[in-house]
Amino acid sequence: MSPDAHDSTASTVSEARLLSVLDTAVDGILVIDERARILVYNKACESLFGYAPGEALGQSIRLIMPSDYAAAHDGYMESYKRTGTRKIIGIGREVRGRHKDGTEFPVELSVGETTTPEGRQFIGIIRDLRSRKEQERRLNELQADLVHMARVSAMDEMGAALAHELNQPLTAIMLYLQAATRAMARMEQGAAGAPDIFRQVLDKAVHEAERAGNIISRMRHFVEKREPQRRPVDLNSVAEEAVELVMLGLRGPGRMVRDLDRNLPAAIIDPVQIQQILVNLLRNAIEAVKDRPDPTVSIRTARRSDMLTVTVQDNGPGLKPEVLPTLFKAFSSSKRTGMGLGLSISRTIAQNHAGDLTVDPGGDGRGAAFTLHLPVIENVDTVESAAGGTGDEESSGRGQPGVTP
Amino acid sequence: MAIHILEDDPGVSDSLRLFLQGLGHDAFVYPDAESFFEADPPGADDTIIVDLNLPGISGAQVIVWLRTLAEPPRVVAITGQSQTVIEKLRASLGDVMVLRKPLSSRILADIV
Repeated sequence: MSPDAHDSTASTVSEARLLSVLDTAVDGILVIDERARILVYNKACESLFGYAPGEALGQSIRLIMPSDYAAAHDGYMESYKRTGTRKIIGIGREVRGRHKDGTEFPVELSVGETTTPEGRQFIGIIRDLRSRKEQERRLNELQADLVHMARVSAMDEMGAALAHELNQPLTAIMLYLQAATRAMARMEQGAAGAPDIFRQVLDKAVHEAERAGNIISRMRHFVEKREPQRRPVDLNSVAEEAVELVMLGLRGPGRMVRDLDRNLPAAIIDPVQIQQILVNLLRNAIEAVKDRPDPTVSIRTARRSDMLTVTVQDNGPGLKPEVLPTLFKAFSSSKRTGMGLGLSISRTIAQNHAGDLTVDPGGDGRGAAFTLHLPVIENVDTVESAAGGTGDEESSGRGQPGVTP
Repeated sequence: MAIHILEDDPGVSDSLRLFLQGLGHDAFVYPDAESFFEADPPGADDTIIVDLNLPGISGAQVIVWLRTLAEPPRVVAITGQSQTVIEKLRASLGDVMVLRKPLSSRILADIV
């Protein structure tokens, strides 16, 4: 056997081995040359893109790219060959692929480079992201459901408070209208001043009706099921609305102290979800101080280097050390009100915002303090107020394009 | 005779005052129990309309105090609370009439 023959057999064997490795791979693997022609196209690529090897080999890589990428790809390769600036090689990124039937789908593409006697070649490994995307979508959906559930359960508890709160304007409206009827009767008898009184009383009745409407729309904002959406908002107004929601129907002794830093940059958040966290924290705090002398709950906003914080502090007894390990676990609460679920969801929401929810348990005469941390995002142009507010905002507040941080 | 209204909600107290004045009564409004105590004590033929959910000194405490007067006035309690809460307060309320909000103008007119 001549040395040459031996070499060629060896290379055939290793090539066959390589091809079988390529074809066993779950991910699509492609090799292209400097002119973007496809040299290697494995089995996974066939099922990903729908082209047979015979259709793909020798073709330009543009075959499997959406047209907008395809147009730019030649430019990318030129730019890389000229400047050596790596935009994808060794980095990998999420791009779109195009199937033979024209459908586009998300893939993660990693690109490596190798120098061969025939010039530079680029190896692309392509992972189908459709199932992962689907999972992410379902996870998001589930989470939105959970958040909705928690809001509805909070709403349930607030139901009694809501009824009480609505009773006030309803009572006032009925009595004002009775007074208006009386003023009307006196008007018909020609009493001086009666028309003025009539108008004033009607104005007051309208004002009370508006008040009832505002209570309803605040609650509706809070409870409505909706897609999570992030946009730049003023954290202070989210905090203030959370306080207003919690104070619905809440009277009697006790102080609510607001200490809001008016110079905060905007936060890019889902205002309803963040409001949900603050409502949970405030309600827990109020519960903790219920039987204390001079019950006080404070809410404080501040900036700590690259984080915005909202701290809810109470002057209750503090948290017992034994509850701390499971504090943020779902369903760990001993309370009927399901606040345990509240804290667990709250922390998840905070972490999804690239933030966190932390606790200073207090004790020994100090109350507990929960702090919500949210990242500062600079260069935000427009700031909107929080999610709640009057009914006027309702149509404009929904369906706005979300901002991706 | 006069009607004294102890109610912290400005809409409710103002509309009650207007309504009762319309019926020809002298009506006075107090936003809390403390300001009511600062005024002259009510006479035997006065009527007190008191919200059970006052800030500070509660409506129930006011009712207990009124009962200690030599000539107690007539008392009507009003509340937006649930029946369970009212039942819990029953001991201190005694036989005081409790009207639940929203108030009916017809029943109010009949009472006063």
